[in-house]
Amino acid sequence: MTGNSMKKPEDTRILVIEDERHIAEGLKLNLSFQGYMVKIALDGITGLQEWKSWQPDLIVLDLMLPGIDGVSILRNIRLENERLPILVLSAKTAPDDKVQCFNYGVDDYLQKPFNLDEFLLRVERLLKRVSWNESADRGYDSESSFGEYYDFGNNRIDFNLSVAHCKNSKINLTEQEIKLIKLFIANRGKPLSRRKLLEIGWGYTGKTETRTVDNFIVRFRKYFEDNPKKPKFFKSLRSIGYIFSNDED
Amino acid sequence: MSRSKIFYPIIILIFSVAALATSLFLYIYWYLAVSEGLNTVVKNFKLDKRQVLEPQTWIVILVLSILVGFIIICIIIIFVYNQKNLRLYRMQHNFINNFTHELKTPVTSLKLYLETFLKYQLSREEQEKYIGYMLQDAARLTGNISRILNLAQIEGKSYREESVITDLVELTRLFLQNNQHLFQDSEITIHNHSEKRVLYSIKLGLYEILLMNLLTNAIKYNRSGKPTVDISFEHERSSLLIKFADNGIGIEKTNLKKIFKKFYQIGQPENMSAKGTGIGLYMADNIARIHKGRIRAESGGDGKGSVFTLILPYFSQ
Repeated sequence: MTGNSMKKPEDTRILVIEDERHIAEGLKLNLSFQGYMVKIALDGITGLQEWKSWQPDLIVLDLMLPGIDGVSILRNIRLENERLPILVLSAKTAPDDKVQCFNYGVDDYLQKPFNLDEFLLRVERLLKRVSWNESADRGYDSESSFGEYYDFGNNRIDFNLSVAHCKNSKINLTEQEIKLIKLFIANRGKPLSRRKLLEIGWGYTGKTETRTVDNFIVRFRKYFEDNPKKPKFFKSLRSIGYIFSNDED
Repeated sequence: MSRSKIFYPIIILIFSVAALATSLFLYIYWYLAVSEGLNTVVKNFKLDKRQVLEPQTWIVILVLSILVGFIIICIIIIFVYNQKNLRLYRMQHNFINNFTHELKTPVTSLKLYLETFLKYQLSREEQEKYIGYMLQDAARLTGNISRILNLAQIEGKSYREESVITDLVELTRLFLQNNQHLFQDSEITIHNHSEKRVLYSIKLGLYEILLMNLLTNAIKYNRSGKPTVDISFEHERSSLLIKFADNGIGIEKTNLKKIFKKFYQIGQPENMSAKGTGIGLYMADNIARIHKGRIRAESGGDGKGSVFTLILPYFSQ
């Protein structure tokens, strides 16, 4: 049960999301020497694609990326997977940046320039911990900081079954809908711009496609509001975006 | 700067203007009341109007309004100036962040490879490849340091360089040749339709900085597979025009003049869509002015490339 049920290094996949080529290649070189399988993504969008398709065991993430910034990527990943170890490498030094990252669930934060040995040891440590966690609660449902249920008004979201109980009906929620609901709940009472919703909820960037967000809001209002035309929970904020408010929480 | 500090000037502005407007209104109102009272007194006591101060109501109102209006305009000017300073401060803050990143990144790379070399025995071939990277990083650092030093000099007007009369076409060609390694993935062509030499009295060092800034920008802000820049030399009336046309991401109309401002960068500071230091074009503008010329930007818009035109006046040389 305990003991080293850690994956063999050769089976461990590490995704490096870093736009500076030299640094990315240097990291890949060293991690490969440790025996890990390594892939590089030179920007946020590719990074998210690789995360979804390749399913790495650990992600090394740079914060200053072109397009979507590193923090949005972190948040996007955390919406779906709270377990995946993420180590941030950043040139940013302000303590606020560090605190913000830890707030959003990063596992480790190293400033650039960093010591190579320290980096490798931290990576090893993170991977070891993950394997302990996995072997420890095999058979239990993975714990989420969201808990099993969330109630607002007459609605209840069941995160385990991805189902919403509302207005006497039961709705099966899609993965994207769950993600968005989690995002709103985690930020209840705080306004979210369409752009941020797109970046964090979908991992998109760019000026188009904010209509996607609007369509989802229309759907949520239809599901959860007593009167979709006078929303109590999913409110619009003129020229800012949307805000989820739950007075009972 | 915390939010409360940002709100302060706006609130002060609103209150001052409101107070002034109210006081103007009150001045006029009380003045009218007083002159009415005076008129009543004159009538009641059947005094000669000419013995009492003849109120020139309209002149008074006019003068008061002009003065108060002037004060309000001055207050607004001070407010606008304050906002500009705030913006400059913010941009300077961004510049420092960006510049720190520009310095830290090559240093991180150097450190990483040096530590790797210590740790592992690599083949000569691999060593050469990574040493090549390290040399590029050293060059990047040097470039950044030069840029900031040049900026300090150009701004402090302590740039001491003599002008030399030389053929700019040939000078540009030499520059491209000497810096091939920087431009190897792009296509830069010089067009000189007149086929004649283009002689101009130029400060060589500054011209190189300008070329470097414009060309590295053209390559950096480019999403096509192969960045291309067409440099052309033209004459127009009494000026020499040097045009740099690229196939880059283009510039929106609202930004065409702003990009030459110090520290100005298009994009959000948080997500590094603005890479670099924000001083390249500011320097280019300064350099043009040192030569009594100007530099302008034109663009078809997003994705349609841009044309930077350096206008250098001919004096009787």
